[in-house]
This record gives sequence, C-alpha cells and structure tokens, in this order.
Amino acid sequence: MAVGTAVRRPAAPLTEGLGTRVRRFGEIAREVLRNPTTLIGLILIVGMIAMAILAPILIEPNTPNPYQMPRDWGALNEPPGTAGHPLGTTQQGGDVLYGVIWGARTSLRLSLIVVSITVIIGLIVGSLAGFLGGKIDELLMRLVDVFLSIPELIFALAIAAVLGPSFGNIILALAAVFWVKYARIIRGQVIHIKQNEYVDAARVIGDSSLNIYMKDVLPNSITPVVVQATLDMGNVVLIGATLSFIGLAEAGLAEWGVLVSQGQAGISAGRWWASTFPGLMVFLWALAFNLVGDGLRDILDPRTESKR
Amino acid sequence: MTVAPAPEPARQAAATDSVASVTGLKVHFESKAGRVHAVDGVDFEIRDGETLGLVGETGCGKTVTARSFLRLVPMPPGVHAGGAVYFRPHQPCAVCRGAGCAECNDTGRVPVACPSCHGTGCPACDHSGVETIDLTRIPEKQLREIRGDRIAMIFQDPAKALNPALTVRNQIAEVFQHHRTHEVLVRAGLGASPNPLLRRHVIQKSRLWERALLTLPPLRGQRNHIDRAIDEMVSAALAETQIPNPVKVMERYPHELSGGMKQRVMIAQALACNPDLLIADEPTTALDVTVQARIIELVKELQSRHKSAVLYISHDLSLVRRVCDRVAVMYAGRIVEIGATEEIFANPLHPYTRGLLAAIPSRSHQRGQLVAIKGTVPELIDPPPSCRFVQRCSYGVEVCGELDPELEAPLDRHAVACFIHNPPDVATELPSFSKVTS
Repeated sequence: MAVGTAVRRPAAPLTEGLGTRVRRFGEIAREVLRNPTTLIGLILIVGMIAMAILAPILIEPNTPNPYQMPRDWGALNEPPGTAGHPLGTTQQGGDVLYGVIWGARTSLRLSLIVVSITVIIGLIVGSLAGFLGGKIDELLMRLVDVFLSIPELIFALAIAAVLGPSFGNIILALAAVFWVKYARIIRGQVIHIKQNEYVDAARVIGDSSLNIYMKDVLPNSITPVVVQATLDMGNVVLIGATLSFIGLAEAGLAEWGVLVSQGQAGISAGRWWASTFPGLMVFLWALAFNLVGDGLRDILDPRTESKR
Repeated sequence: MTVAPAPEPARQAAATDSVASVTGLKVHFESKAGRVHAVDGVDFEIRDGETLGLVGETGCGKTVTARSFLRLVPMPPGVHAGGAVYFRPHQPCAVCRGAGCAECNDTGRVPVACPSCHGTGCPACDHSGVETIDLTRIPEKQLREIRGDRIAMIFQDPAKALNPALTVRNQIAEVFQHHRTHEVLVRAGLGASPNPLLRRHVIQKSRLWERALLTLPPLRGQRNHIDRAIDEMVSAALAETQIPNPVKVMERYPHELSGGMKQRVMIAQALACNPDLLIADEPTTALDVTVQARIIELVKELQSRHKSAVLYISHDLSLVRRVCDRVAVMYAGRIVEIGATEEIFANPLHPYTRGLLAAIPSRSHQRGQLVAIKGTVPELIDPPPSCRFVQRCSYGVEVCGELDPELEAPLDRHAVACFIHNPPDVATELPSFSKVTS
C-alpha cells in the first residue's frame, strides 16, 4: 500500500477525536439553548446546584453538624420578614431559609449518591443479562421482576422502617428500588444494539468481545440511561422528601421533606411559611430535572433529528 | 483472472492455487418447527485472485455460507452440522514483494508453508505443503487474528455496519491497531524500543493510570507520534478508495457521510490490511444505482491492485456477470451449478439457472410481461432426500423426487447438480430438456 506519500499531515494529533467530540457537545448545547423549556429547567438546576454548593457561604453553617437545623428558641413561629429570619421560623425555632438552602445540599447529596449507585448497579446487571444472554439473562431478569413486583414507595418504606429512621437508610432504600429500572433499560438497549451489523463488522476486523461491548455496544446504548438518570435526579428527591415527611429521616435534619412535615401542623393556624418554601423547593427541583430530562430525550433521540 | 488449471490431478491443483475451499459445509438452525437446513452440503473453492460470484434468491443460504467463513453465524440457534471451510493464508511474494511476477503467478503473494512439515507435505496439510486452516474448528483467538487481516468482509448496508458513536478514523484505526501493531510503532519511529506502555496504547489496552502517564512528557510526544502514524495510515487507506479529502473525512461520524461514502469507508477498512480474501455480502444492494456502479468499479479496481480473491454475494445476475470470473448458483442450501461466468451465462445447465436467466427482463420482452419461475422456495425444515428443485422444475421425473443429484462436472470448468446431465446409476426414466413434464 502506498502510504504517506500524497497525504497531508493532520495539523494536530487527533487523539480521542477531541475536536469532533467538542463539536458534538456544541451541537447538543445549541439544541438545549434553542428549546425554551429545557433552558428554563437548566437555569433552575444550575441555580439550585449553585445554592447547594455555596450553602456554607450563603448562610452560617450550624455547628457541629451543618445538616442539622439551628434552633433559635427565642423566635418560634415567626412569620417571614422577621429580622435574622427572612423566611420565618418553624414551631421549634428552626430558620426556614437555612432549611431551604442546606436542604438543597442534602437533596443534591441524596440524588447524586442514589443515582450513581443505581446507574452503576443497573449497568452491570443489565449489561451482563443483555450481552451474555441465555441462562444468565433469565436468572438476572427474574430477580429484577421480583424487585419490580413490589410498589417502589412501599418497598422503600419497608426497608427504611426495618433499618430504622436515618438519612443513610433513605439512600439505601431508594437505591434498592431504583436500580431495577436501569437494569431493564440497559438490557433492552444492549439486546437491540448488539444485533446491529456494526457489531458483526467489529467482529470481522478481529475485535474481542469485551472490546466490542465497550466500544460498539455500550456507547450506543447509553442515551436512554442518561435521560432516565436526569429524570431520576428529580424523582429521587421527590420520593426522598416523601419518606422524610413521614418521619424516616432523623428529626431536625435540614431537609425539605422534614421541614414540610414540621410546618404542616401550623398551616391550619395560618402559619403557611414553614411548609410552603421547602415544598416549593421540592416542586422546583423535580420540575427542573423533568424539564431537562424531557428535553434531552428529544435532543438525543435520533428519530427526532429530521425535524430540526 | 487466473487461467483455469490444466487437467492435472484435481486435488493437487485445488490445494496450491486456491485461497479457500468449502467442503460439505452444513449449517442448520434449530427452530420450534424443526431443523432448518439453511446450508446443506456446499462445496466450492475460491482460487487466488479470482472473483467468485455466489448468486441465489433470498433465503437460499448464500449469506450463511459467507458468514461461516468468519464464524459469524450465531450459535445457538445455528448448528455447525458438518463439513469444513479450509483457508490457506498467504504472504507477500519474496521475489517481487507484492508487485506480481512469474514466481507467484502474478498475484503478488504466495501461500504460507505448512508449519508442521515446512512445505514437504504431511497429513495436516493434506500433503500439499501449504498451511491449511479449518476456519470452523480453530480457536476463537486464532480466528480473531485472521479476521480483518487475512479475510475481510463488506456488509450489505454501510449505514448499519459503521458504529455511529465512533469517528471514521477510529473505526479504521482499529484494524491497524489490532493487526499492524508493529508497523504502527515502526512508522512512529519507535520500532526498536517497544515500550510496553506505548504498545498498549497502540492496541488500546491502556489502563486509566497509564493514560494519565501518557499525557506527560516524554511519553506524550511518543504517543503523539503513534497517533500521527495511525492518522497517516488511515488517511492513506481512505485515499485509496478515492474519497475526496480523506483527512477531513477521517474526523467525521458515519451519520455525516452519504451512503456511497460510508461504503467507501467500509471498503477502506476491509482492504486496510490487504486481505487474501474479501467477502462482499451484497455490497451495493442498499445503494442507489449510480453509486452502485461506482462502488463496483472501485471494488474491481482495488481488487486488481491488491490481487485479493473476492467472494461476491448477490442476487443481481447482470451485476455478477460484469464483476465475477466464476459463478456459483445456490438454491435451497445447495450449490446447483458452478462454472466460469461466460459458460454459465452462455450455456446454463441447471433448470433453475435457466429459469433465473430467463427472468432477467430484456429488450425482447414485451412491456408489462415478466417471466418468473413457478412456485416458491421449498421449506428447508427436514427436507426429504430428493432434488430440492423438483417441485418447481418443468422437466422433473420420478427419479428426481427419489434421489438427490450430486454436483458433478459433465463439462470442463462447469459443474451441475442435475440428473439431466449426470444420470443416476439406476435404470429409470431420465429427465431431459426436450421433455416438459409439468
């Protein structure tokens, strides 16, 4: 083969195809910016994550445990606008603003941990089942069916109830419930993708099975997982708040569900603020991730490409 | 094309100048209704540098036959029920270094000597002295070394055969990384001191920490040399398929290319390592007619330059006539007729081949009239021992439904499986083209 005679040298080494990867990212970014609802969701997410990360700067952290609400026993049930408590206080003297800001940090921690654990477990189980097939597939999927047959909220509730009320147990309970979905998604995708001719084509050039999985199957199967993970970032917080609302988190934790449950007794007496602000945060959090998740689904779906 | 062998001992001739031979290959599929005999006793050989066309209608087993070369038939449900696919790997001719000379019969390559007898002839190589590998039995690891290097394949639909998540460069680069590791290192100026770290970078087995190390000098520079060497090899491979501006195309993803371009990329990938045998599974079916013509010209031109043998699978007879040196006609899992292209088209011996040729629309046909072979392909589930074509054959007689005709050669260079030409050893009424029976 006459190599390298008339060929112009590429300007820079094209390691990993960095240029093309940046280009693809730019395309996605442009799509996001063109879609108003996705953009709104994205702005909300950036805002709330910034709030979570900057929490120690925005408001003096409680000592020794910043995730516990500080108590101001001299100011119980103060309405919003009180000096030192811009969003009011709860009936135990907890500062609602502190709960809202540090609650964002708690929620971010919760959703990140739960989603990453479940995605990893789901990826491993689903990939093994889908790629290897046969008896392994059968075994793993029946296990998944067992988990799926129990309603997720009740299952999480049962786990948290058995292990005792604590934030760590909420994480565990949610992880035990959510991984099943990913296992199913990734299995279906892998089975679909591995029938593609480019998998045969990779085999034809002498690739090993592991290599084929990592290069040809996984990257083409991952999109629905990304979308589902984004949606679940919201769902996890929603269900997490539900669990802590019914008392499965430690008392006094700076968490939105805990705050809502503390404030609910006062709503009939006109003290709306202690429940409303954290409730609004849960709503916005779930909404933002759902907007972005839906937007990503449309943008990443190759079938919608022609519409653009 | 190479001239057909002189009538010497047939076995000897087959062994020395054929790149691959299929003997009695049977591939069945288990299904709920029974065993589907998709490929049921196929024999043929592919000679050095020739183009063999494998034609037949959908479901006759031509793709399964081709896929058996590289063991791509999924098992289960597939079952390898017998027979073998022998492959004789070649190496560049030492005399002319691939240019083609008298020593290598102008093919530029010579067969590799048998590793157990070094060319003197032993039972392992069927006394031919040439390394002979049974592709249906060698371990997966050895097969992986042959795939993409000595035998390559082009698929029907280039849109489906390229990974949408990888750039063109990375897809073609893989071939070099797997099969030309040493050449990549030499080209990068690192041939003498193959640092295991860099070697693993070439074959893409770097661990995470190794990748981090490679971003630091002095390894960084050497890594860039390797990447640039691969870039050059990839763009040269692309340039060979006459893709305009290969350096730019390299960075593109498959969805950014047209169908013809994608097929060119596939061809570049397939021919990158200069294979002995190229399997083309209907490479133009998914393309429109104008692009088809150009791709066929390209394959022909590259074949004459690389001197690879090509197994060309198609259902398009006019195409096969243009491209192939020899043609094998398949019907219901069997080869019913095989011979030189001119022979087959000028003098078809099997009733099925006659029917196929008659079905090609031509200017002599009246508008609105299309000729077809009556009936449909028989079920291949547990077929009875008879001629597979008997239900559709206009000349069939009793014996055709009771005995199975073998593929035999009544003429030189032309074999057929039909009792009209090869009468069975029983005294009975024989079929004939002069007697239409149904």
